[in-house]
Amino acid sequence: MIIKASHIDKYFDQPERHQVLHGVSLEIAQGELVSIYGESGSGKSTLLYILSTLDTDFGGKLWIKDQNIKDVSAGDLTNFRNQHIGFVYQFHYLLPEFDVLQNIMLPAMKMGVKTKEQIKEDALLLLQEVGMQDFAKRPSYQLSGGQQQRVAIARALINNPDLIVADEPTGNLDQKNTEMVFDLLKKITEEKGKTVIMATHNSKIYQNSHRAIEMIDGSVRL
Amino acid sequence: MSTPIYSKTNLFIAWQYLSARKKQSFLAMLGVMLGVTTFIVMINFMTGVNDFLDDAVFNGSPDIIIASKTKAESSKQVFGNQLKTIVDVGSIDDLLSKNENVQSFAHQLITPAILVSSTTQLPGSINGVFPDQEQQMVDLERRLIEGNGFQSLLEENSIILGISLANRLKVSVGDELKMILPNGKNAKLKVSGIFSFGITTIDNVRTYFSASTLQKLLDQDQKITHVHVKLKDRDDVSLKHQIVEQIASIATEDWKDSNKTIVIGNKVRDILTWSVSFALLLVAGFGIFNILNITVIQKRKDIAVLKTMGYSSKDIVFIFLVQSLIIGLIGAVLGLLFAYVICYMISTTPLDTSDFIIVETYPINFKPIYFCMGFAFGVLTTILAGYMPSKKASKVDPVTIIRGL
Ligand SMILES: Nc1ncnc2c1ncn2[C@@H]1O[C@H](COP(=O)(O)OP(=O)(O)O)[C@@H](O)[C@H]1O
Ligand SMILES: [Mg+2]
Repeated sequence: MIIKASHIDKYFDQPERHQVLHGVSLEIAQGELVSIYGESGSGKSTLLYILSTLDTDFGGKLWIKDQNIKDVSAGDLTNFRNQHIGFVYQFHYLLPEFDVLQNIMLPAMKMGVKTKEQIKEDALLLLQEVGMQDFAKRPSYQLSGGQQQRVAIARALINNPDLIVADEPTGNLDQKNTEMVFDLLKKITEEKGKTVIMATHNSKIYQNSHRAIEMIDGSVRL
Repeated sequence: MSTPIYSKTNLFIAWQYLSARKKQSFLAMLGVMLGVTTFIVMINFMTGVNDFLDDAVFNGSPDIIIASKTKAESSKQVFGNQLKTIVDVGSIDDLLSKNENVQSFAHQLITPAILVSSTTQLPGSINGVFPDQEQQMVDLERRLIEGNGFQSLLEENSIILGISLANRLKVSVGDELKMILPNGKNAKLKVSGIFSFGITTIDNVRTYFSASTLQKLLDQDQKITHVHVKLKDRDDVSLKHQIVEQIASIATEDWKDSNKTIVIGNKVRDILTWSVSFALLLVAGFGIFNILNITVIQKRKDIAVLKTMGYSSKDIVFIFLVQSLIIGLIGAVLGLLFAYVICYMISTTPLDTSDFIIVETYPINFKPIYFCMGFAFGVLTTILAGYMPSKKASKVDPVTIIRGL
């Protein structure tokens, strides 16, 4: 199991204290493509941020790659995340000051394990995999939404993480681009053995995932 | 497992952010440059003027002047009046030789006189000096423009003149002059030297003449009118009060009394330098603060994304602080160069002789310490200005930002 979550509770204090997640338990195996769907406000994003270790202020227990997340210090968690988890968001959030290639390289440059040349090579390979090899030197803001999301997926993969967390990655895309992005995510689970966990509204996507988990008012329906 | 905060990657990111807003960064840099330049030029110029005046005044005049009381009261010595000579010279000498703070002192016999050249006649003040004593008081060699210094006064009837006085009399070294003293006696003089202190009030009237010759001409054997004192610590003028207390019929004046305008002028220039430079650096700092602040506000999401990529709060502080540091360093270096150029230009600009000072070009310092200070202030301002926005950037919480669409 790459993710094991047990009885996760989440409260927010604003505007007043209220519970958003109610004892969520789930297990996700390596290589799975899991969709979480449900109404807006049901807690999908909240759960994803906890599962991706961005939010550590929760009740219950969480293991990722057999590591109890609550045992890891904040500084080590940043490195852990950088190494094991890649992110894709609804808005791709490429950094406009950098070109496409540089955007993909940034997470790896921070990790500092590979040389810059290696990182560049890897980034170019990933660009090829997402079909964007011709755009390497383009400023990122010149790309269309679908193109940017493909670059964002390449960026999520640069440190070769086992887990990709995507929050409504197709939420802003048209039908054609939605399919292209979904196919890409599916391909990386099937060909590379990555685990993808994503929140989505799109029924076509969750029906075609390996597994679909429905969230209702902060609880998962099993 | 992760790169240190001063890594090339962070520098690269900082640089990318900077060059994405070239115009603003350039303007901020210009601001720093202007602040640094102004500071350096102003402080060099102001201290240059101060030093010049101090040098001229304090080399040209004694720290304390002792004269007889009545003289001080009726300072306008009417022509033909009896000279007010000091009665008790012996006890003054005693007191001065015992005092720790006295560097040297010299006797003078000062009298008004009319100087007559072949073309014109002018009133002047004849300072009768004893060359060996006066040499300890005034570094005349450095001020000589033509001829010889105090030792030339050993030759009877030699006179040394201030440059403006010499010009107005239209005489130069070797020329003859006639002196008419208050008691009606005449003497034929020969100009043996011409000096310039650079200050009109001195160069216009001062002359040096042999005191012993003057004593004979005035029938004032062994008498003097003034004692000039040079102090070791100029700011300690307690001696002045001591003298007045112990010896009656004596008046004293210290350098602060005689040079009130210069002392005040120095203070005004100091205040001006610091306040103007401070204001300019403040404006420059605010410029940097402003750009970075706007960047941080506009880039909250990007900062959040960087954080999810593994960039820590410290990385973010570094990335933003480096931006202000780059602006500050480039601005400060350009400021240094620019300041040097301007200082050089000022130092070679001819100065029309004013009513007050006589110099060929503007007096200006080139003190390395001021260049260093300007540089340090520039960089320091930018670091201070950059710190708050950087801190703010580092506090961005990736979750709330990405969620809060
Ligand atoms: N920072 C927050 N403070 C307070 N309440 C929040 C915060 N973030 C989310 N919520 C609330 O938590 C609930 C779940 O939100 P979210 O996880 O974003 O849902 P979803 O992604 O399924 O649309 C919503 O009711 C939302 O208002
Ligand atoms: Mg959501």
